[in-house]
Amino acid sequence: MSYEPKIVGFLCNWCSYTGADLAGTSRVHYAPNIRIIRVMCSARIDPTFVLKALREGADGVLICGCHPGDCHYSEGNYKMMRRYPLLKKMLTDFGIEPARVRLEWVSASEGQRFAEVVNDMTQRVRELGPSPIQQTLAQDMAER
Amino acid sequence: MADKKLQIALYWGAACGGCDVAVLDTNEFILDVAAVADIRLWPIAADGKYKDIEAMADGELDLAIFNGGVRNSENEHIAHLLRQKSKLLVAFGSCAYMGGIPGLANLTSREKILETAYRRNPSIEWGNRVVPQPETKLNGKELEIPKFYRRVYKLDQVVDVDYYIPGCPPQPDRVRETLLAIVKGELPPKGSVVGAFDHALCEDCPRTKNEKKVKKFYRPWEIKADPDTCLLEQGVLCCGVATRSGCGVRCPTSGIPCRGCYGPPPGVTDQGAKLASAVASIVDSKDPNEIEEILAGLPDFTSFAYRYGVAASLLQRSYRQ
Amino acid sequence: MEEQRIGVYVCQCGTNIAKVVNCEEVVRALSEQPGVVVAKTYKYMCSNPGQEMIIADIQEHGLDRIVVAACSPRMHEPTFRKAIQTAGLNPYFVEMANIREQCSWVHDDPQVATDKARALTFGALHRVAKHEPLERMSVEMCPDVLVIGGGVCGMTAALELADGGNHVYLVEREGTLGGNVARVDLTAPYLDSARDLITALVTRVEEHKRIDVLVHSQVSSLEGFVGNFTATVETIWGDGASVSQFRVGNVVVATGYKEFDASRVVHYGYGKLPNVITSFEFEKMLRAGRIQTKEGKIPQYVAIIHCVGSRSKEFHTYCSRVCCMTALKYAHEVKSAIPNCYVSDVYIDMHAFGKGHEDFYKRGSEAKTLFLMYAKNDHPVIRKAGPGDDCEMLIEVNEKLSGEQIEIPADLVILMVGMEAREDSDAVARLVNISRDKDGWFIESHPKLDPVATTTDGIYIAGVCAAPKDIPDTVAQARAAAGRILAKTIRGSIEIDAVFAEIDEDKCSGCRVCNALCPYSAITYDASKKKSTVISAVCKACGACVAACPSGAIKARHFTDSQIFAQIEGVLT
Repeated sequence: MSYEPKIVGFLCNWCSYTGADLAGTSRVHYAPNIRIIRVMCSARIDPTFVLKALREGADGVLICGCHPGDCHYSEGNYKMMRRYPLLKKMLTDFGIEPARVRLEWVSASEGQRFAEVVNDMTQRVRELGPSPIQQTLAQDMAER
Repeated sequence: MADKKLQIALYWGAACGGCDVAVLDTNEFILDVAAVADIRLWPIAADGKYKDIEAMADGELDLAIFNGGVRNSENEHIAHLLRQKSKLLVAFGSCAYMGGIPGLANLTSREKILETAYRRNPSIEWGNRVVPQPETKLNGKELEIPKFYRRVYKLDQVVDVDYYIPGCPPQPDRVRETLLAIVKGELPPKGSVVGAFDHALCEDCPRTKNEKKVKKFYRPWEIKADPDTCLLEQGVLCCGVATRSGCGVRCPTSGIPCRGCYGPPPGVTDQGAKLASAVASIVDSKDPNEIEEILAGLPDFTSFAYRYGVAASLLQRSYRQ
Repeated sequence: MEEQRIGVYVCQCGTNIAKVVNCEEVVRALSEQPGVVVAKTYKYMCSNPGQEMIIADIQEHGLDRIVVAACSPRMHEPTFRKAIQTAGLNPYFVEMANIREQCSWVHDDPQVATDKARALTFGALHRVAKHEPLERMSVEMCPDVLVIGGGVCGMTAALELADGGNHVYLVEREGTLGGNVARVDLTAPYLDSARDLITALVTRVEEHKRIDVLVHSQVSSLEGFVGNFTATVETIWGDGASVSQFRVGNVVVATGYKEFDASRVVHYGYGKLPNVITSFEFEKMLRAGRIQTKEGKIPQYVAIIHCVGSRSKEFHTYCSRVCCMTALKYAHEVKSAIPNCYVSDVYIDMHAFGKGHEDFYKRGSEAKTLFLMYAKNDHPVIRKAGPGDDCEMLIEVNEKLSGEQIEIPADLVILMVGMEAREDSDAVARLVNISRDKDGWFIESHPKLDPVATTTDGIYIAGVCAAPKDIPDTVAQARAAAGRILAKTIRGSIEIDAVFAEIDEDKCSGCRVCNALCPYSAITYDASKKKSTVISAVCKACGACVAACPSGAIKARHFTDSQIFAQIEGVLT
């Protein structure tokens, strides 16, 4: 059975979401697997959001913010930059491939790059296969 | 007070026994309880049988206090039984509330646990490495032991729960207040966490708090921490910021960082993720490599942040194949 | 909770969306969802008939929340907010799904694009169900303005504002107004006198009844937020000092620059060779009216070296923008004063981008100045001449155009020192809560579209403190900043966006994790209550504190956890 990964993208309003819009206005095609959720800044992204997305069935989560030094809120992206390694470590400890979650800096002018990031992410998550979370939880229930 | 005595059951699931001791630690109050209540089941202290509970009418019990997580089919069976027979079911202590310490086992697998306990444990005699099975044939007879589940559940993942009393163990004062409230019928809305506050531990912690910027993390033994200043801002990982208050701030006032046993404050979905977010945010660096280095000072962050809450977390368990 | 009545509107955007996304199918899927009372598709939802349809439906069907699946919310969210407000709904009860930029424009397969459009619209549907009504706040705007820096930039801004009717406090650190331009003789390219320019400005500023000039003064603190700042200024009087405090609504930062320290370029011998001088030292000579060497001799050879400290890997990578034209001006002034003097101009590239600059360069080229080009990072070397030479110094240049190593004589060497951020720019940035780039220049709100505003409301930057520029550009920025402020103060009040972070005092444990995270210092800590608070007018709604708040006490209005969770659930349905 063919498997189409589901990817949730959390994008900051000022750089990355605008970059994704630019990919659209420039008609740069990319993999359709991503579902974008807009936040004002990557600093708003709580690791809880990522876990929530994985729990709800996402096979991968892409986080995008402004390039370091270019944050609309001057330093918001550094907060995400700090949370990311800890989040990856937690995922590893929970037995989830850390490559399912990815942080990328995409500026408002990088529509092309956004498309490339999404394609690459989709490909990688495709190679990882479906997230085991929902199936494993269902198996747990079935045993009882 | 009604003339009829209150019918009470206490039970322990996957637990250490500390919660039962906490009930005993209410001291002479337990005698007051005994005066107004019949304790129909309390495996650690009284000689009640499961079959006695099974024989009861539905709702015959007024209150069932369940401590410990649900690890095996026996735990689950009694959870269902008590739910059926009792008007109120209380998840008592961190294990029933969130899976607790036994829930840490969810970060590994049933197979590994059994392997470690029955095959690799050095105290096992050579040649006798038998892994118990739910069903065994012995001398032509079928023997059964409870089925050991793939993972630990918190109580409300198995049955409907009326109230939660967090704590590892719950503080005796809180236990007393809560039991009194139940006896008097002064009950908060169903599903409430009782015997604890609605704010985080720091509010009650006497240590001084300053703006937080952390350049280096320390294990508690690596630093002589200032006794009057917030541990977290000194670089000692403390769960207090992301933990509900109610314990009396016992750990931080004794110089030990909070371990989070009262669970997340209301409004926090996932205690560990929230602690990660807070702790990482205050790392004082903008350089990815330095950030990694600083965070390497938290070698076992996941087990720390989810010490009591793996089963209650969004992910609930490990997915390692 | 009362049952919600949600309307879902799927825009075809002409054929922009409809040619790939099956809008009817999206409508069908959405109409089956609980809470959805109306689901429709239309050719142009943003058009007047489109908006009127939504407004009519709200009134007819008693809708209380609206989902619009159309283009990017960055495009039309304001349109639909306004529309539903017209219909009597709170403007925040609309959520858009971006099915054009994120679906029809980037995917070809109609089924795939339709599936994704449905998922995104589900996300919006789940999210809008959690929306809360929000009110915009209005705060009083104090018309008075603080201008920091009394150079051409600060004076121009002050005059523009004061002429417009606002009271201005002009704070200058030095004892006199004029800044760096007051140190200059003539200006390029039209050779007007800088002195005349400055005198005219200073006279008007000092005589203006709506400008308070505070010299020998520095701003020591700035508290509050747009419309309502309190500035504290310290003034030194001889051996005494005084402190004054006043309320202002806006601030113009016009702190200019300092010149690059030429002694840092070791091979130019500045500070060791007495006749190697900086451009500002040469200006002083010109203003005194006599070009001469340290020994008092009239120089026979003058060499001008460009890009001292600028366009270099070692010092500053940027171009200081005014030096090329100033160097041409020097060649001109030397030639006018000493007609038989040999002038060499040693440059990397001649930047003549401004109005009248290229013509000025052409005139300079015709005036027998010797132009020698050197490669970036292959700097000329200056050494003292020997007893047999008829000059003071010799300059070795690897001339780029000829490819030859050339030695040129010099009695006087003028180093065109670049501009750099002042040592205290970091302190100023912190004072007014703005950011600096890697070179120390203040960062504008948007480099192209919003060059004088900053990310802190009410704080404007103008002139060289934002990056090197010449006088015309500086004046334009000063007037731009003044214009922005005048436009804002004329209404007497300012609307604060309803989207900001707020702290639930009951839930705040006073842990202070959030305190240092706010880039705008919008979070204050009340030591007596042991609680943190967000000043909503200062908050820009980034949400950094919200994500970090470990006790769940901070709420990001319109970006709450439950709204985002709902959207996650929706898009993964």
